[in-house]
Amino acid sequence: MSSDQTDELGIEEGSKQKQIRRRKLYDRLARHVVFVGGAGIIFCIIAILFFIGIETIPLWKSPGKKLESVSEMEDRLASGAPSGQVRIFDIGVDEYREQFFTVDSLGSVRFFTLEEEPKLLKTHTVSHKTTGYASFYSARTNTSYAIADREGYVVPFEVSFRVEFREGTERTIVSRVTEGDALRVAEEPIEMFAYQSSPETGAPVVVAYTASKRLLAYAEVEEEGFLGESETEVFTTDLTGELGGAVVTGVQVDSEAENLYVSTANGKLYHWSLSDPSSPELKSMLAATADPGVAVTRIGFLLGHRSLIVGDAAGNVSVWFETTSGGEESRLAKIHVFPPLPAAVDRFSASQRGRGFLASDTSGNISLYQATSAAKQLDFPGRGKPYAGLSFSPKANGVVAVDSDMMLSSYYLDNPHPETNFRTLFGKIWYEGYDRPRYVWQSTGGTDEFEPKFSLTPLAYGTLKGAIYTMILSIPLAILAAICVSQFLHPSIRNVVKPVIEVMAALPSVVLGFLAGLWLAPLLEKIFVATLVMPFMVIGLTLFALFLWHRLPFSFSGRFRVGAELFTLVGVIGIAVVLSLWLNGPLESLIFAGDFRDWFFSMFDLRYDQRNMLVVGFAMGFTVIPIIFTISEDALSSVPRTLSAGSLALGANRWQTAMRIVLPAASAGIFSAVMIGFGRAVGETMIVLMATGNTPVMDWSFFNGFRALSANIAVELPEAPHGGTLYRVLFLTAILLFAVTFLLNTLAEVLSQRLRRKYAQSDA
Amino acid sequence: MPNLWKAGDAYIWISGLALMVTLVMIGGLLFLIATKGLGSMWPADIGRYELRDGSAYLGQLRARESVRGGDGVSGSEFRVKLKIGNRDIYGLDFKWINEGDVKSRDYPRDAVVLERHEWGDYHGYLKEIRKNGQVIPGTDPEAFSVLLGLIRDANRIHERILKIEKGEIGDINYGIEKQRLKLKGLAVRGEHNPAKEAEYRLKIKEYEGRYKTSEAKLEALYAELNRNEAVMLSAGGNEKTIPLGKIVMAHRPNSMGFVEKAGFYVKRFWGFVSDDPREANTEGGIFPAIFGTVLMVLIMSIVVMPFGIVAALYLREYARQGVMVRIVRICVNNLAGVPSIVFGVFGVGFFLYGIGGIIDSVFFKEALPSPTFGTGGILWASLTLALLTVPVVIVATEEGLAAVPRNIREGSLALGATKFETTWKVVIPSALPAILTGLILAVARATGEVAPLMITGVVKLAPDLPIDGHFPFLHLERKFMHLGFHIYDLGFQSPNAEAAKPMVFMTAFLLILIVVVLNITAIVIRNRLRKKYATSAV
Repeated sequence: MSSDQTDELGIEEGSKQKQIRRRKLYDRLARHVVFVGGAGIIFCIIAILFFIGIETIPLWKSPGKKLESVSEMEDRLASGAPSGQVRIFDIGVDEYREQFFTVDSLGSVRFFTLEEEPKLLKTHTVSHKTTGYASFYSARTNTSYAIADREGYVVPFEVSFRVEFREGTERTIVSRVTEGDALRVAEEPIEMFAYQSSPETGAPVVVAYTASKRLLAYAEVEEEGFLGESETEVFTTDLTGELGGAVVTGVQVDSEAENLYVSTANGKLYHWSLSDPSSPELKSMLAATADPGVAVTRIGFLLGHRSLIVGDAAGNVSVWFETTSGGEESRLAKIHVFPPLPAAVDRFSASQRGRGFLASDTSGNISLYQATSAAKQLDFPGRGKPYAGLSFSPKANGVVAVDSDMMLSSYYLDNPHPETNFRTLFGKIWYEGYDRPRYVWQSTGGTDEFEPKFSLTPLAYGTLKGAIYTMILSIPLAILAAICVSQFLHPSIRNVVKPVIEVMAALPSVVLGFLAGLWLAPLLEKIFVATLVMPFMVIGLTLFALFLWHRLPFSFSGRFRVGAELFTLVGVIGIAVVLSLWLNGPLESLIFAGDFRDWFFSMFDLRYDQRNMLVVGFAMGFTVIPIIFTISEDALSSVPRTLSAGSLALGANRWQTAMRIVLPAASAGIFSAVMIGFGRAVGETMIVLMATGNTPVMDWSFFNGFRALSANIAVELPEAPHGGTLYRVLFLTAILLFAVTFLLNTLAEVLSQRLRRKYAQSDA
Repeated sequence: MPNLWKAGDAYIWISGLALMVTLVMIGGLLFLIATKGLGSMWPADIGRYELRDGSAYLGQLRARESVRGGDGVSGSEFRVKLKIGNRDIYGLDFKWINEGDVKSRDYPRDAVVLERHEWGDYHGYLKEIRKNGQVIPGTDPEAFSVLLGLIRDANRIHERILKIEKGEIGDINYGIEKQRLKLKGLAVRGEHNPAKEAEYRLKIKEYEGRYKTSEAKLEALYAELNRNEAVMLSAGGNEKTIPLGKIVMAHRPNSMGFVEKAGFYVKRFWGFVSDDPREANTEGGIFPAIFGTVLMVLIMSIVVMPFGIVAALYLREYARQGVMVRIVRICVNNLAGVPSIVFGVFGVGFFLYGIGGIIDSVFFKEALPSPTFGTGGILWASLTLALLTVPVVIVATEEGLAAVPRNIREGSLALGATKFETTWKVVIPSALPAILTGLILAVARATGEVAPLMITGVVKLAPDLPIDGHFPFLHLERKFMHLGFHIYDLGFQSPNAEAAKPMVFMTAFLLILIVVVLNITAIVIRNRLRKKYATSAV
């Protein structure tokens, strides 16, 4: 084809070809752009919602362990002394798991690097002169310790680690041992003891079990003399008599220095109060093991020193704390029982980051337990030897243990969310200090020792309560209104009414919530009785108005469009409201003896909160009614007119036609409207946030508030640290909301599509 | 009556009642917000209440209710709630007074309401004006107009102060911060460059020098601002000297006519929409909130429009209509029903910590550990809302595309147009009103939405607007204020919720107005469309 050919318009053939090629190229390009863009966007929108799911996966991961090193420590720990003469008391680790230290019977604290071949960094020997140490006590996990010698002295000391960043280098960890004054507690070797200093005064409290099987409580009390100088008075009380000859196997004093716990070889647990340090008072004595022949072999504290871990010779592990359960008086009780260890329980080490703890037995098995969920999380099989030292690292991400053969093993622990599993998230849990197992949501507390309570049940309960009550209030109004608009109103009126209700759906929920919380709630408290009377008043007056309407001559009433007469009801409602308000005071004194709140409380034990379900239900009605109305109205209007015309022709009245012919035909659509409305009520955030008071109570009462899943997210997510347990739990609640609403909406969509198809066929 | 039950009329009326209750609910709500919001700005008359115990108050009547007697019966006793102002003297803005305790009540024409920068309103009488050391007694008939003139002057000075504080000193702080970050950037990268370091330090010095001169200017202005004073007498006879620099506006409601009041009302309303908030947001204006809302919605629209339309085009015009597309369509429909807070949670996890964290670690290393994009900001809030509203746009656009008659398309194709040309030049123009409707509905939804914003970047008081004179002018990482959140914050977290109520109602009115107008526009467009296609189909 030559290039000088032209068509009748004078356009060269070549450039025409070029133009066509360009157009085709554009077409193809557009096709690709739309395909990639469109499919990509839709894929992204749906896929990114799975992202929320990914964020919650770590909550369900079972903890992982990795053996990092096993090293032979015999020569390094003995440090020149004849083998077998040095006894290791315990072991400790720093926060970054770079160093560990051992405390031994020579009174030495040795610091090593934590690696495959540990290097001795430094040795600190306690300056107190003695022939050797007999026992050791760890007073507050990983910082404060005490050691007791063969002459009855107790020497407290602290081990601390400081992190230093030097110019141009990595962080270095500097260890430090600070000694306290030695205390003469007994005249003989101390086999076992507990040491604490009072948090207020710093005065030491020591309870020691000596070689001659005596249990001594030693306390220093500082008193102010006449001239303002302080004098120290020492009290030593012999508690042996109260033990009834039993052999003591464990002594623990809590960090407040107020409670003393002693366990014995005949399976008993004693509890003394040390509130008056000069005279300890025996509060209780309990059988800790099922069989008195089974000895309690070890007791220890969980983080916070309010829960006691008890292990016995049969390998059973349990957690005890004081509770008011079963009586007025709070008393020690066995709360959580864990899967047992294979041999007698030997050592505990509690986490400093939560409610987890390690327990080891005499044949070297270690298990990781979680107190809140009463579950065993992990096993570390041993080598058959008991441990001389066992330590849970401060960040709860490592375990270091040294056994009686001086073999050191170090594990890395991957357990970022130990406190969550299916049971703690949804089940009833007996939390520390509670009187019975409960569903509780309380994510943060005042102290580091706080036990987080992540039960989603009260929140889901609140969401359901809000949604269900809202539906009870809204469904009749919305569906009746939809029937009225679709069946009994002139189409021209209908074309005005529908957009008005659509505008209602668009009202910002923050405005509704604000009005409900700040305007309606206080108002409702004042006119509560009028509100109760109002529905009856309105219905009564409506019937009266109907009666009057039919008395009107048809020459007058026939002039209006069908259904226009119903607008007189606006006036009726107005009159009913005014009448009810006027009756409010008299009725309240007549029925409720002056104050309805007192009356409800004394009659039904119901407490009236200002921000209650009634307020929320009314406000949520504004968001739910228009949705149900619009969709049901569409469904009702789509029922073919032939059906209702047939019914009317056969002599049914308008109401019968509406109820028995049109309503059943549109039932699927109405059901889907209710589903979508329910989904909206479940997800509504601002109204429940502002009008409920947000207390996570579980109570079906109409007169109090609740805390919903959605509001909970809005309140807590800004405060939740990224990647923490609370953060992930909140993501989990978001998934719950997403799943529920997505299911409801899908169900509704499928139903309404079926309905559409049905009438499409019947039309054809 | 029985025949009415039988004929079903009674039921019909009851169903009509349900409809009317719903309509009354909407009407009542709109009426309530409008009266409470608009009414709160009206300069109400100020009454002088003298009580039997000898005390006296100047206050505006805010509420009146019957007092509950001991037997719970509302008696004939009434009490009134007065806005008495003078928070610095009484400690409270409002006071309940039993009508039985009131000895006399009158409306003195010379009672003055001063709107102040601090401590809320002052109610009292003008005793004298101290102008340049010269004293003008309050009894002088010209005294009040002199006062108004002086206040106008003071306000001008105030504006100049603000200009220096926000403009000049703002620039200086911005400059210093930038140089400081450059210095830190050098350290972070481990670069050793003494020349550059010295340069940055020199610049900081320079800025500090400029700061000194600005500060001196400010000092002079402040001295001028507080030179003139008004001496006021409260109803109880307490004297108070108020520097004119502390006064925003003064008026004497009792001696104003209706026209005057209306003029004052307009001025106040303008102040409300154009001023910055004062006193923990309980007074002043809401300009930053309006600005933040508008900007956020704009950014959202820019994102949501192309994506929504392309997705709808794909679904309706390009994809093969099968089971897969139907499932996708149901999913997209359902996304519109997913709670907004869920989108907020997604925004926090994906945008803030995910993408924001990556942006920070790549581009804003020197500012770490304080996050730049790794925290809430207007960009993330807008994107979250875009995600929330994209189903609305997709659904509306699809509806519009589906409504374009098939023969129009076929005509275009038959004339030799490619599919792209048909779509671009024939189908989209006819579907444009529907697309517009979708966008309007999306904007309306985004304007009213608060829950997802609360966790993705809205704050109660943002120090800077997201747009200013510093490069790159639009600061997408900044936190912003929002009308809806303003309502939540003022109503529920304000220290003085009672005093904040007029502001909340006013803000709520504005928000509802915007949303309702947008929705009605969308509905009108849609109805026109329906009519058009209904006739074209015939």
